[in-house]
Amino acid sequence: MTIFRQTPESGGAQVATKEVTVINKLGIHARPAALFVKVASKFDSSIIVEREGEQINGKSIMGLMMLAAGAGSQLKLIAEGRDAEDAVAELEKLFQRKFDEE
Amino acid sequence: MAQPSIPTVTVEQFYLDNAEALQLKLVAGGAGLAQRIHEGSVNRPGLALAGFFDYFAFRRVQVIGGAEWRFLKSLGEAEGLRRVEQMLGRKIPCLAFSRNLNPWTAIEAACDRAQVPLFKTKMVTMKFINAATIALENEFAPQISEQGSMVDILGVGVLIRGESGVGKSESVLALLERGYSLVSDDVTRIRLVSGRELMGTSSETTRYHMEIRGLGIINVPAIFGVASVRSEKRVDLVITLKEWNQVAEVDRVGLEQQTYTILGIALPHITIPIRPGRDLARIIEVATLDQKLKSLGHNAAREFNERLIQRMRNPSAPRL
Repeated sequence: MTIFRQTPESGGAQVATKEVTVINKLGIHARPAALFVKVASKFDSSIIVEREGEQINGKSIMGLMMLAAGAGSQLKLIAEGRDAEDAVAELEKLFQRKFDEE
Repeated sequence: MAQPSIPTVTVEQFYLDNAEALQLKLVAGGAGLAQRIHEGSVNRPGLALAGFFDYFAFRRVQVIGGAEWRFLKSLGEAEGLRRVEQMLGRKIPCLAFSRNLNPWTAIEAACDRAQVPLFKTKMVTMKFINAATIALENEFAPQISEQGSMVDILGVGVLIRGESGVGKSESVLALLERGYSLVSDDVTRIRLVSGRELMGTSSETTRYHMEIRGLGIINVPAIFGVASVRSEKRVDLVITLKEWNQVAEVDRVGLEQQTYTILGIALPHITIPIRPGRDLARIIEVATLDQKLKSLGHNAAREFNERLIQRMRNPSAPRL
């Protein structure tokens, strides 16, 4: 699978990663994907979401939906950039909040 | 946004707009053409002619058909005239004789005196009443002006809203180049028809013209051909163009159908963020086609999402 990867932002780049589990019943369908992208886009860092070795750009709705991450799937969030830590922390909260779905 | 207005309809306006369709001929009482029609409907004044005025719809257009005329004639000319004069005294807006009936000259004179316009039509009474009711309903339809241009894209009437200078006219121009037709530029008059449909049109003065920054006023059919304009079209879709940074939240997947309400009718509504280099006309065109698909019962976003959820539930299912 080809990997879509953004170049890291220059200057004080940090890398943050986090393992998350999809716990909302319907998985990452259109609405959660849009919400994820909305939050991810607030950050300067590039954000990559990985599932079973497949990586996609975390700022792409179509990419996220392509992962077809159903309930119970394990994802890895990788952020690169000056606000990488914050990005990962905030995105993780979305998963914990079940994307405000339930 | 302007307040909706119920237009003031004078007998003259009703006559000028519908003389041909209703085959109206003004016979007498021309001095009263400036009278207002207060109620957009038609009345057959049989009971009034019989002398019953306790409940008389005097604010409407009065129609004398075969029955009323036969009744008046049965009274004899003197008494018949007296009854008509009694009715004219109630401030009716106008009087119409159908079936090509010829009122007595005394009635014509009475209408002149009372300054009540008297019309004649060749139409049979029922047909005339039906047509006149529809015509009056149109005249009385609530109206509003919306800031926005309107284009007919493949049979879908699209109202394109947006602040001045946001690129409405440019988008419209690009749509005209693609072969679609202009209904109105910049300001669209919208009329509620029979309480359920919205008709968009332009004001008569600006009809078929556009104002393009840097070019001035252009004549659309002269440049793009007669097929590039139409005088009115039902409004099916509202598209709002907004500066990128003014759009608080854009629906990225299109699962939710936004609406925009005009004269109490909720229309499908799409907000398109603009940015230099975005081909707005193309996006408007596709939005319209997608709307057409929705009206045929296919919601692409919803169908896609249902398949995705299905697949996540059952990962062994065939790939998307």
